[in-house]
Amino acid sequence: MTDFLNFDLCKTSELIASGELSAAELTKASIDRAEALQPKLNSFISLEKDEVLEAAESIDKGLRQGESVGSLAGIPLAHKDMFYRLGKITTCGSKIRSKFKGDRTSTALSRLEKAGALYLGGLNMSEFAVGPIGNNVHYGDCLNPWNQEHTPGGSSSGSGAAVASRTVYGALGSDTGGSIRIPSAMCGVVGIKPTQTRVSRFGLMPLSFSFDCSGPLTRTVRDAARILHTIAGHDPKDSTSSRRKVPDYETECDKEVASMRLGIPSNYFYDGLEADVDRLLRDTRKIFEGLKVEIVSVDVPSHDHINLIWAAALAAEASTIHRKWLRDRPDDYGPMVKRRIEFGLYQPATRYLEALTLREKYLRDYCDTVFSKCDALLTPTMPAVAPRYKDLDVGGGESMPELVLMLSRNTRPISYLGLPALSVPCGFGAKGLPAAFQLIGRPFSEGKLFRLGNVYQKVTDWHNTIPAIVE
Amino acid sequence: MSGITSEFVKTIASIWHRFSLGDEEAKTLTNMLAPMDDAGEEVSSSIKFDLEPSDYNRALEELGDEEGLG
Repeated sequence: MTDFLNFDLCKTSELIASGELSAAELTKASIDRAEALQPKLNSFISLEKDEVLEAAESIDKGLRQGESVGSLAGIPLAHKDMFYRLGKITTCGSKIRSKFKGDRTSTALSRLEKAGALYLGGLNMSEFAVGPIGNNVHYGDCLNPWNQEHTPGGSSSGSGAAVASRTVYGALGSDTGGSIRIPSAMCGVVGIKPTQTRVSRFGLMPLSFSFDCSGPLTRTVRDAARILHTIAGHDPKDSTSSRRKVPDYETECDKEVASMRLGIPSNYFYDGLEADVDRLLRDTRKIFEGLKVEIVSVDVPSHDHINLIWAAALAAEASTIHRKWLRDRPDDYGPMVKRRIEFGLYQPATRYLEALTLREKYLRDYCDTVFSKCDALLTPTMPAVAPRYKDLDVGGGESMPELVLMLSRNTRPISYLGLPALSVPCGFGAKGLPAAFQLIGRPFSEGKLFRLGNVYQKVTDWHNTIPAIVE
Repeated sequence: MSGITSEFVKTIASIWHRFSLGDEEAKTLTNMLAPMDDAGEEVSSSIKFDLEPSDYNRALEELGDEEGLG
C-alpha cells in the first residue's frame, strides 16, 4: 500500500504530522520506488538509504515525543547533484567532480533540513548544469517518465523525472536559462525560477554568477510555495541575496484572483508553437477567463538581442569558472557542454560587461511596458513537447546552438531579466507528453504567480495524472 | 557584420589561453560567436555613461512587487 506516494507534499505532510503515516514508512516506500525505477529512468546519481532512514526515524521519534517539527517534517526530497553538503560527494553531473566533497553545506539544503525535510539522494543532471536536454555522457541519460524515448529536459533532468514519477515529493533544481522550467514542462510537474537574489546561491555549484537561481520542482503549486518559502530570504553567506521579507507564499496561494490581469504577449512567445501546445495554451486562457481573470494583450520588448547578450555573458562567466579545466582536462567534458562553455573564452571583457550593464535598462523597459499593463504574463513554457533523444544533436555539432535556442527560447530572456517565472502543467500533447504554461511576473511577485497557478490547479486535474511507468 | 574568423579564434586560443584548436572546432566556435558579437555591437551604443552592472540589483529592488509583505 504505497498510494501515499501519489499524494502531494502538503497532504502527506498533514498525514505525518497527525501520526497517520510514519516518516520511516514513507521513506522506505520512496527508496523502493527509486530503486525500482532507476533502471528505467536513471533519475539518481546517488541514493543515501541508510542515512535517510535514520533521519526519518529521528523525525518519527520527535513526533512521538510531542516535539515541534518543521513544515517539511519527514518528507523525502532529493536534489540536483550540485547542492554542496559538507564532506559529501557532489558530482555536479561531471567526471571532473566525480569525487568532489563539499567544503560547505548549501544554505538552501540547510534550510530544508531545518524544516525537517529528508535527503534521499543526488539527482541526475546535465553535466555542470549546461544544456536543456537532460543527457549526461558520464552518468547516463535521464529518461522522461512519460515516454522513455524522450528527453526529460534539462539541466535539472533528474529533478523533473523523480518528482513526476512520484519517487520524491519535491526536488531542488537550478535555473540559469530555463533549467528548472524546461524539465518541469517536459515532465509535467510544477517548477519555479524565483526572482534573481530571492534564494541564496551559497553552496550551489556555480555556472553563472549573474544568472544562477535555485528553486523547487514539485507536483503542485502549493507544494512549490511551501518549499520556496523555506529556502528563500537573505543569507549573510551570499551578499547578493535580497534582504526583502519573504511573504507567506501558501497564504498567497489562497488569495482572490478575480481582479488580476493576465497579459498575453502579442509577439515572440507564441511564435512557432506545436499545434497541441497552441491548443492547450488557448484552453488555459479560457480557464483563466472563466475564473474572472482579466485577459489583456501586451506587446513585449524584443528578445532577440536579450537572448544573444545573455548567452555571451553566461559563457564569459562559465568559461572563467572552467578555464583551467578546459585547458588541462578538455577530454573530460562531454562535447556539447565543452562547446557551450568554451566560446566564452573568445570574447572581450568589454562585451561581457556591456551585457551586464544593459540588464538594468532592459529590466526597467520590461517593467514599464509589460507590468504596467498586467500582473503576470501567460506564455508557453516550451514551444513543443519533449523531443526524442534520437532527434537531438547532443554532440556539440553545427546544429547544437539552434537546438538550444529552440528549447530555451521562452525561458532564457526571463533569466537575463531576473524575473520570477512559474511553470505549470496544462495538459498532454503528442504521444501523451506533457505541455506547460509559464507565468512571468515583476521582481518578487512570486506570491501572485502562486495565486494564479494554484487557482488553475483547483479547477484542473493535469497535475494529478500519473505516468504509466509508476502504476 | 562581425569580423571574427576561425583564424582569429585559433590565435586567441593559442595566445590568451595556451591551447590549440582544430579547424572544425574553430569554425563551430566562430559561427557561435559571430551573432553575439553583432548583437553586442548593436546594443552597446545604448549604454549610458554612468551605468554599471550593479545598477541592476538596485533596479530589481525598486521595481519589486510589494504585495504579500504584510
